[in-house]
Amino acid sequence: MITVTHVSKEFKLTKKSRNEMGEAYRNAKTITAVDDVSFECPPGRVFGLLGPNGAGKTTTLRMVATMLKPTSGNITVAGYDTQIDPQKVRERIGFMTGQTALYDRLTPNEMVRYIADLQGMNVKEFKSRRDQLFDVLDMHDFANRRIARLSTGMKQKTSIARTIIHNPEVIIFDEPTVGLDVMTSRRIIELIRTCREEGKTILFSTHRMEEVKLLCDDIAIIHQGRLFFCGKLEDFESQMTFDSFEDEFIHMTTEA
Amino acid sequence: MNQFIIIFKKELKDILRDRRTIIMMIIVPMVITPMLIVGILKIQRMQLEKAKAKEIRVAFLGKENAPKLYQIFEKGEKIVLIDNFPEDSITASIASEEIDGAVIVHSDFPANIESDRQGKIEVYFKSSEAYGSAIKRMTDLIESYDEQIVEERIDRLSLDKDLFDAVAIIEMDVSSVQERIGKIAGGYLPYMFILFSFMGTMYPGIDLGAGEKERGTLETLLSSPANRLQIVLGKLGVVSLSGIISALIAILGIYVAIQMIEDIPADMLEVILDMLGFRIIITILTLVIPIAIFFAALVLSISIYAKSFKEAQSIITPMNMIIFIPVMIGLLPGIELNAKTALVPILNVSLASKDLLAGTINPFHLVEVYLSLFLLAGIAVWGCVKWFNREETLFRT
Repeated sequence: MITVTHVSKEFKLTKKSRNEMGEAYRNAKTITAVDDVSFECPPGRVFGLLGPNGAGKTTTLRMVATMLKPTSGNITVAGYDTQIDPQKVRERIGFMTGQTALYDRLTPNEMVRYIADLQGMNVKEFKSRRDQLFDVLDMHDFANRRIARLSTGMKQKTSIARTIIHNPEVIIFDEPTVGLDVMTSRRIIELIRTCREEGKTILFSTHRMEEVKLLCDDIAIIHQGRLFFCGKLEDFESQMTFDSFEDEFIHMTTEA
Repeated sequence: MNQFIIIFKKELKDILRDRRTIIMMIIVPMVITPMLIVGILKIQRMQLEKAKAKEIRVAFLGKENAPKLYQIFEKGEKIVLIDNFPEDSITASIASEEIDGAVIVHSDFPANIESDRQGKIEVYFKSSEAYGSAIKRMTDLIESYDEQIVEERIDRLSLDKDLFDAVAIIEMDVSSVQERIGKIAGGYLPYMFILFSFMGTMYPGIDLGAGEKERGTLETLLSSPANRLQIVLGKLGVVSLSGIISALIAILGIYVAIQMIEDIPADMLEVILDMLGFRIIITILTLVIPIAIFFAALVLSISIYAKSFKEAQSIITPMNMIIFIPVMIGLLPGIELNAKTALVPILNVSLASKDLLAGTINPFHLVEVYLSLFLLAGIAVWGCVKWFNREETLFRT
């Protein structure tokens, strides 16, 4: 379970960024990336955080994953407050982004072992989980090859394995399919579905509307740091004024 | 297992598989150090031999005014004498290196010598020519001629030779061979290992900071249960170790280079090898450890701030120059290790190594150097940890 309550995040502005951002920010000291956002992701459901680029999705996910501290408000993950027990939170999450985020000079086996060690898994537990994942993802053939020499698909499989090696209760996906081909994107979508079936809490950010329809049970629409909608996907669809999901989304964000 | 150790082991494995790091950390100091030392000495010797072997062309004008001197020149090795050279073209011919020098003995010379006065001989040369040795070879011959004349005069007048050498200086150098070598070569040794300990931290430092950002793996690491202190210490440990190994290999390189230099007298070689003994090397290494930690913290702080490998490289590379200012000051004559210089980082390592090699280190100053270095390393590590904890640094866009 993830609970985000009245969370805001401000970033200090440097002189250079003030100049780059134009007249509106000429005298501003800070910029609000996330503004009073609240939502709840229950286990066994996929929660989609939607919004255009720069909406505040990544900042929100980073706060949930304890990488950033909220300026105000609080977040709990699996019952632990991200600011009071950040380590306990990190022990219970898997974090995956569009980048494969792997060490080129390690092998998939070493990469997965590194994360398992950091997560404090014992050897027996690790070996059985690794074998299970390598079977499902069909990774045995390249498990001991350097990551630099692997194909994109193989890298993506390794990235999946390292995200869930410690069997986390909560998985955070930050635009996981960006820049991927259809086959690899499909694999990620399958992974998200499997995690849902296993009763995990899934927080997933995207700006691809087709993925929302395919996967999400609940959605939150965020734009310029503020929440525009938060609820069940079917509730959103029932109150749509446009025929397509995409048109509705564009209308909503441009109106704002 | 402690997260710090897990990160340290992984980062070590990772950088040891990086060809660039291996080249900078091991190959460069191992190859460059002996090449520099042996190479420079070899080139110097070759130049000297070439200068000796070179045949010089000398115009001799006024042969009839000093026939004995002419004979000495004729017997001189590798000298081609040219008679009847036009006097007015001497300057131009030497400038264009058509001839290497000229000797002019004027007509009043014999009369002056016969009447026991001083005769003047003009010698033309070009000090800027490649070897600059023509003047020395010509004056050596003229001086031997001068000695002959003086001896003849002393004999003729039945005088005592000591009349002209009133004072004989007998030099009694109380410094040991170790002290002399230590003071001369001692300055260059720290130059080498400070250079390499910095270069050794460069690539791993950039790779483990900016490289991590560029690959997108920083988020993976930050979302693991390891806290930021453990992450920084794990990385710092590996980067520092790389700097220390580099410096150690550079010292080994110097050791190898000395054995490769052919004409070091046996007694001097014994002193040098004794100087580079186990105890001294270990003491110098203990000076390298805090300086390598300082370099590692500095490089890693910049690297973690940079957005990319390239940006980190462009900030860190010019730092080579800044770091070498104190090292170069340490090479200047008159700069000694004292209570004040012992507190100046880098310079103190340079001066302390010089004194350690010469065997003249003051223990009080050495303690001061250690305190100053460990304090500096501590501040740098603390700064690096603080820096790593800043959201603005980690997620700089």
